[in-house]
Formats: sequence, C-alpha cells, structure tokens
Amino acid sequence: MTNRPFDHRASVWVRKLVLPVMLIAVWQIWASTLPAGSPAPAPLKVLQTLGDLLSTGSLLSATVQSLGRVVMGFTMASVLGIALGLMMGASQAVRENLDPIIESFRPIAPMAILPIAILWLGTGTPTALAIVAYASFFPVIINTVHGVSRVDRKLVLAARTMGISRWTILTRVVLPGALPSILLGTRLAMGVAWTAIIAAELAVGAKSGGGGSGGIGQMMFVFYAYNIDLNAIVVCMAVVGVVALLIDQLFRLVEKRLIPWKA
Amino acid sequence: MSDNVSSPKLRLSGVSKSFLAPRTGLSTLAVAEMSLDIQTGEFICIVGPSGCGKSTVLNMIAGLDVPTGGVIQKDGQTVTGPGADRGVMFQDYALMPWQTVEGNVGFGLRHGTPGQHLNKAQRNQRIAHFIDLVGLRGSEHKYPHQLSGGMRQRVALARLLANGPDILLLDEPLGALDAQTRLILQAELLRIWGETAAVAERKTAIFITHDIEEAVLLADRVVVMSTNPGRVREVVTIDLPRPRAGKARTHPRFGVLVEHIWSLIRDEAYRAIGGDESLANPTEEATA
Repeated sequence: MTNRPFDHRASVWVRKLVLPVMLIAVWQIWASTLPAGSPAPAPLKVLQTLGDLLSTGSLLSATVQSLGRVVMGFTMASVLGIALGLMMGASQAVRENLDPIIESFRPIAPMAILPIAILWLGTGTPTALAIVAYASFFPVIINTVHGVSRVDRKLVLAARTMGISRWTILTRVVLPGALPSILLGTRLAMGVAWTAIIAAELAVGAKSGGGGSGGIGQMMFVFYAYNIDLNAIVVCMAVVGVVALLIDQLFRLVEKRLIPWKA
Repeated sequence: MSDNVSSPKLRLSGVSKSFLAPRTGLSTLAVAEMSLDIQTGEFICIVGPSGCGKSTVLNMIAGLDVPTGGVIQKDGQTVTGPGADRGVMFQDYALMPWQTVEGNVGFGLRHGTPGQHLNKAQRNQRIAHFIDLVGLRGSEHKYPHQLSGGMRQRVALARLLANGPDILLLDEPLGALDAQTRLILQAELLRIWGETAAVAERKTAIFITHDIEEAVLLADRVVVMSTNPGRVREVVTIDLPRPRAGKARTHPRFGVLVEHIWSLIRDEAYRAIGGDESLANPTEEATA
C-alpha cells in the first residue's frame, strides 16, 4: 500500500502529538482531584491565565521586549564572531593570538558575567544585550573557525590558479565554503541567546526589585516573588518554549534558502 | 622577446623539490634535477609510479609549489606564483559545490583576472560558449552534486578553457571515471586541445596519468619518471599520426610504444605494490 504524501505528513504529526496530549490529559485529571482553592497549576487554569495575560497585552509586550534584546545581542555577536572567525580561519597568526583568549572565556557561563555587567551597565537593556551577545558569541566564532578549517583546500588552490585575489578568495570561496558551519553556529547561538535572556531578566528582576528591566524573564520573576501565581509562571514557560521552537524552525528555513546546494 | 621561435613555451632547468617532514625535520627529495623544454602546442604526458613527484612537478609549474632548486620559465619569464595563464584541472574536479554549472564555469571570469577586460555580456557569452563546447547545455543551473562524474569533469574542463590559459595543466583528470566515459572524454580532450587544428593554434598541455595507453594515445612526448627521488627516466617521442581519436589504438606502433614505456616503469611499479622482483620478469624466471 502506498500512502499519499499528505497522509504520511498527517500521520507524522499525529505521532508527534500523541504523547504531549496524553501527558496534559493526565495532568488535568490529577489537578481535578485537588481541593478548590489549590494554587497548583492545571492545564485549564493555565489556558485561562494565558487568555487574561494576552487580553491585557502585557504578555505580548514582554515577549517582544525579550525577543528584541535577543535579536540585537545576537546580531552584534554574529557580526563580530563571523568576522573574527574568518580572520582566525584565514590567518594562523590571528588564530594563535585569539585562541587562548577565547578558550579561557568560553567556560565562563553568561550568568557568571552578570554581576560585573550589572555594576557597569545597570539593570536595563545594556546589561541584557551584553549577556545575550556574550552567550551567542562563542557558538558563532567556534563554528566559523571550524567551518573555515574544513573548507576544501583544493578549492582555494583552484581559485588561485584563476588569478583571484586573496580578499576575493576569502569572500567568494572561504565564506561560502564555511557557510553551512556558520549557519549551524548561528542557530545554536540563537538558542543559547534566548535561554540567556530569560535567565538574565530573571536575575536582573531580582536586583531591581521588580522595577524597570522588563521582558518575559522579569514577568516570571514578578509572578514568583510578588503575586505568587504558578499558572502564570507556567504560561511564561510555555511561551519561552514555543518562541524557541519557532526561532529554530525559522533558522532551518533560512538554512535551506541560503545553502541550496546541500539539498 | 616572448614570441621568439627558438625559445620554448616552458623551460624547466634543474628543478628540484624537497619537503621537510613536519615532526622529524628530515628533508625528503621529491623531485631531483628535472630539466625539460616544452614547445608551444605540444601535448606532454607524464607517467610514472606513485610517489615519483608527478603532481609536484605540475604544482610547481602552476606556481602553487615553489621549487627548492632550479628555475621554471614560461615564455622566458621565471614562474613565481600562480596565474590564470596556467590553468589547472584537478583530479577530484575542485568545483565549488555552492555554484551551479554556469557559476563554476564562469568563476574565474567573474572573480579573477581572466575576465577583467570583458563586460558582463561578453563574459556570459564566453561562459555559454564553453558550456556548449563540452556538451553541457541544458544543465547550466544544476549543482555539482546533481551531476555524474563525467559531467563534473566536463564542467572542470569548461572552466579551465573559459579562463583562456595558454598552458593546460591536467592532473589525472580522467582518473576517477569509468572506462567508457574515459574513452569518450579522451577523444573530446584531443578535439578541444586542437588535434585537427594547425600546431600554432594548439594549446600547450601537460597531462599526468597512471594509464600508459592513455599517455600514448594523447601525447606528442611521454615523460617517464622514476621514483626515489623523482627524476626523468626517459622522454619517449610518440610518432603516431594525428588525428588519433578512435584510430591510434589499432596502429602497429601503439602496442610497441606502450610496451616500451611499461618496461621502463615495470620494476618500480611492482616494488610499489610490494610484489616480488621476480614477478616483474616472469620469462627470465622460467628460463632460469
């Protein structure tokens, strides 16, 4: 028996959804056994809270604020990481100079630079940007250097025999040759950037006493530290997860568009 | 003067190349004191056992490797680095995987010196011409991974020719192909090189191969190299009439020349695969 493509795709989706739906159902059944005033989160209450938070607009504006910071910090890190990575890949001298510095900072988690960032940059957007940029810089530069080192040397030699200048070889041979690896690095970077912003906003939220730093992480902090609302915290967690999933899908789409030769 | 009739197109004078082993620091002599004059329009094949430095010689002519001794001159000028006047066709194609057939053929014209004096329309016309010449019309927008080995090799050949080099350096270009495709591309290579044209209109070609029959079929002269260190054993003039495509293999001289070249490299070829020396001379063994 041969399935039409649509049937096949539909059956894949059914398989992906069966387990989550079952888990949520079990969770709801468990929650319905609890006494009426229980603060424990339950699927139906979470949905209701989601509706409330959406209708006031606060959830959307917090998400947009966090995303905006991620995009800006990520862009800064990508530009710097790709440029430095290409230079390191192309020149042994640059690589030998920068490698020890990068490798010694790499094990220092983004959260570990938060104290210094807050003391120097305050509790607002500059600190958030610094954390995001720091977190996403390493996946970008490491994958760029790796990608450059994996470019087929024969292609560079071939280009040299066609009278192509060093700079053009860097932009027309090395860069596209390393592009699959660079895109992988940026996708990983976007993932850690999104993780880092939530953690940073949570932590900055504590420092500023629920004041002005904003973002979805701080929203979570408010629901945890002030008006304790587990359902709202679960809403925030779900939003973080869904946004991460959408970002990842977007990057996979971009990858397919930018590297059509890897069909 | 560069167009002096008596001066060769390419002159190798006492060219040597030694490599330093990265760990031990010991120096190995890959090519020793190689001297050779190549005339304009000549088709030279280099054969020899593995490790005789064939590819090293080609890379030095291309300017990708620097000789540690001796001088290479092209049109009387010492070769100091790579240039589009000496085009290379690599054994494993070396096509840019992110470029289509059209983009690969036009790569040098668009980004290198060969297209500097041309406008966009002239470049495109030239690219289309060479895609036609190698019979790839209709596949312009395919990527290398969508092509067969023979088609990729045609792309590499079209790219080489589109850059307009006056010396073609071919490093076992047909080595990875199946036997039939090889026969077809050998004939096409002779046609494109200019077998039926006047000698003055032919390109100068230096072609590395493992295949002695291929060398005899294609070359005006076959340079037979020996190993450890790589040096010229003998230069065999191939006096078969041209055009040869399709006919030369049945010529009575063909087998004689193949046998002669094989006799020059037989002992080393057996040694290279770890075979017994006696295998190399089975008849002597039988009469002993």
